[in-house]
Amino acid sequence: MKIILDGKELEVEQGKTLLQICTEQGIKIPTLCYHPGLPPEGRCRVCLVELNGKLVTSCNTKPKEGDLVVSRSPKIFAARKMNLELMIPNPACSKEDDFEVCQIYKEVGLDFSRFDKPVTDYKPDLGAAVIRDNNKCINCGRCVKVCSEIQGCYAIDFTSRGHNEHVSPYAEKPLSSVACIRCGQCILNCPVGAISERSHLEEVQEALDNPDKHVVAQTAPSIRVALGELFSMPAGSIVTGKMVASLKGCGFDKVFDVNLGADLTIMEESAEFLKRLTSGGVLPMITTCCPGWILMMEFFHHNLLPHMSTCKSPHEMLGMLIKTYYAQKAGIDPKNIVVVSIMPCTAKKFESTRPELDTAVDYVLTTRELGRLIKRNKIDFLKLEDEAFDPTLGISTGAGAIFGATGGVMEAALRTAYETATKKELENLDFNQIRGINGIKEGTIFVGDKEVKFAVAHGGKNIQELLKKKEDYHFLEMMACPGGCVGGGGQPIYKNPDTLQKRIDAIYKEDKNLPIRKSHENPIIKELYAKYLDYPGSKKAHELLHTKYTLRDRF
Amino acid sequence: MQILEETSMQALDKARQIGPEGVLKLLEKKGLVGRGGAAFATHKKWRYAIDNANAGDGETFLVCNADEGEPGTFKDKFIIKYNPSTLIEGMLIAAYTVGAKEIFLYLRGEYQYLKQDLQKQIDKTLELAHMDVKFTIVLGAGAYICGEETAILQSIMGFRGHAMAKPPYPTKKGLWGKPTVINNVETLTCVAQAILFDDWDSDIRLFSISGNVQNPGVYEYPLGVKMSTLIEIARPKRKLKAMSFGMFGGIMPINLDMEITPATIKMEECQHGAYSLIFIDETNNVVDICKSIAKFYTYESCGKCTPCREGTIRMLNFIKKIQSGKFTDDDLKLIEELGNHIQETSLCGLGQTSANHVLTALKHFRKDFEAYKK
Repeated sequence: MKIILDGKELEVEQGKTLLQICTEQGIKIPTLCYHPGLPPEGRCRVCLVELNGKLVTSCNTKPKEGDLVVSRSPKIFAARKMNLELMIPNPACSKEDDFEVCQIYKEVGLDFSRFDKPVTDYKPDLGAAVIRDNNKCINCGRCVKVCSEIQGCYAIDFTSRGHNEHVSPYAEKPLSSVACIRCGQCILNCPVGAISERSHLEEVQEALDNPDKHVVAQTAPSIRVALGELFSMPAGSIVTGKMVASLKGCGFDKVFDVNLGADLTIMEESAEFLKRLTSGGVLPMITTCCPGWILMMEFFHHNLLPHMSTCKSPHEMLGMLIKTYYAQKAGIDPKNIVVVSIMPCTAKKFESTRPELDTAVDYVLTTRELGRLIKRNKIDFLKLEDEAFDPTLGISTGAGAIFGATGGVMEAALRTAYETATKKELENLDFNQIRGINGIKEGTIFVGDKEVKFAVAHGGKNIQELLKKKEDYHFLEMMACPGGCVGGGGQPIYKNPDTLQKRIDAIYKEDKNLPIRKSHENPIIKELYAKYLDYPGSKKAHELLHTKYTLRDRF
Repeated sequence: MQILEETSMQALDKARQIGPEGVLKLLEKKGLVGRGGAAFATHKKWRYAIDNANAGDGETFLVCNADEGEPGTFKDKFIIKYNPSTLIEGMLIAAYTVGAKEIFLYLRGEYQYLKQDLQKQIDKTLELAHMDVKFTIVLGAGAYICGEETAILQSIMGFRGHAMAKPPYPTKKGLWGKPTVINNVETLTCVAQAILFDDWDSDIRLFSISGNVQNPGVYEYPLGVKMSTLIEIARPKRKLKAMSFGMFGGIMPINLDMEITPATIKMEECQHGAYSLIFIDETNNVVDICKSIAKFYTYESCGKCTPCREGTIRMLNFIKKIQSGKFTDDDLKLIEELGNHIQETSLCGLGQTSANHVLTALKHFRKDFEAYKK
């Protein structure tokens, strides 16, 4: 099919939208409400182009044979600009803001609006994990779409009408009292920063400034492959050493690696799974590393309670060990230890406030907050010399590293479960069938004479799909965010859809390069069990490393 | 009145005799076009739905749009009140022709008091028709936008009444993704009459007349009727100054010699819509009228797309600014720019027509605006 684009004849595929065609041709068109993974709605009207002389939204318009398309004209620029003027009466972006919309101001060349702002006075919605300020909102609707269509949670939607239309949780309640799983995917999709994480930066800074406190940071597996993006490094850069150095530079006394907590989780989880498998326990067993998924179960899937593993998530396990094992070893009063988890996740903020988990973890910072902390301390991230994690709890394995990607927990658990059950070595450590970005992945492995069927889902909608056929499997891994933790709601905001895959690739690269790739071969883990925890699933392990759940009402 | 003639189940009998293809050909010959405002040929709309259904699994739906929310329009209410049996027969003919097994009648929320009688008439007619269709009256909840064809579908399916981007048109993807025919009350009534009566006249229109007149009501005239005829029958108390086509069609000066046809209305840069004529006399100020209309749109915009949601409130603020007297020529220019912008870039018909009033008023009654200047 032929169209004429900006005066040039062009052969295009039928069924493609004008936005896709223009992007392929290298023509940049500003978009706000567009989400590449979802059907376009044409809400914001910023991506306007001319089709046969009429202004149309390029995101949802497909041209026909012989159509005349113009992507640049004074009329188009004026219309785009006016829609932005109407949407955002105060187009000022401060230096610290790196919101999508700031970039669009520059592209469209907008520095002031000719329209007064209608009076809006929405109360801020403050919760333990995700906070919202509707006064900043431009009604692009991406948060609503991602919450319903990708996460399947329907926690927020539009309410009221006309210029009073605004995003709201059910019945204008705060997010913290509706069925919201705090995954933070809405934050990643907000172009203006109207939704953000509840910041713990001030509290952490206070602890760092207090000489009586021993402040310990522990970093999740997926931080090191994403943090660099906040300092203009390409997606997928592995910055483990710089990350540790920057945390030390910010004043943390010790930096530990949650990958070790992940190894510990694998020991406990694989032991629990093998026990269920051999003694006729409830199957399929479902992983519980993801606090978003746990909330989803507590809100929507009460029948799954007996299927849930009782293992705490890795950072809660390690936090517990820091305040017991490490405190004892280093001779520090646990009351004076402040554990700060650096997480890719906003649901972890909620998790750390759970009464079931004591106070192993005091504060949770997202990757973005860590970036802000580093910038505040005026640390030149790119020039930092690499530093290593603290040796006390400093060795981790490839199995722990891959926790950051969808399928990683399952792969790590299977490596250990297979080898501890069969006492044989796995020929191939790479479970390629459960790697990658597909929504639902599955596989089979023989553990001795027992066939174990396993499956992995990431993203709320995919989880719900997989749950429909859960009886077919023995072991399930669920991650609330698309891509797993690399795509978590606390990660750097990205617009390029390849970013997730690049972060995942980096995670597996790290696994490949590590000398030890199985949790049960980690010398620190061996030492921990020998000296402190007895054996996986022991009484002591249960006391410190396992938890219970609270079923919640949706309304 | 032609619209009040009852077809007493004979039109349905005739439709069954000539078959769906016969119905389509007959409607084409009679020249029936939609009476909701867009004047799209009825047989074409139906044929699209049939073709799309044949390409799919054959399932279709029929929706009768009785969400008559346009201020100054009350012809559908008139039909539902005084000739419901012919309306229902028309719907059955439409359902028969496009193969719909389920019919929805989307009744304006404010017409709730008509529902009971209408339901009785539906039960009676269905019994006589021996047709296997499910017939549901869906009551609107007061939103103007739900008269828009994509929003009406959203509302019937239980979603928020939001307009959707077209294409796909409802005849391709309507209710629950199936081809759906949406016709106005007057259109469907005309279907039955056009099929049965040989002398049915396609040029006859219903005019809803209201405003500063002593005889408001529904009148029937052929297109091309002189404005003076309508004014004579409406009997204004004082000298008339302007005429507004509902809320959306625009405001134009009174021209007694004007013959009312789509073409002449277009020449005044107005839109005829469903021919709802609101007469405005000399005691009124056009800027006041614009303010009322702007308020209406500010409230009735569904809030989905930027130009309509944010533009209508800005338009109202501008009109208030004009009335305060503190405005410059630049403000008037910006109003025109904003008005054109809303029209050109809004998603649905509501937004695209929501600035007609100010734009036409500025063209025809600019002096009224400038008189406010201090």
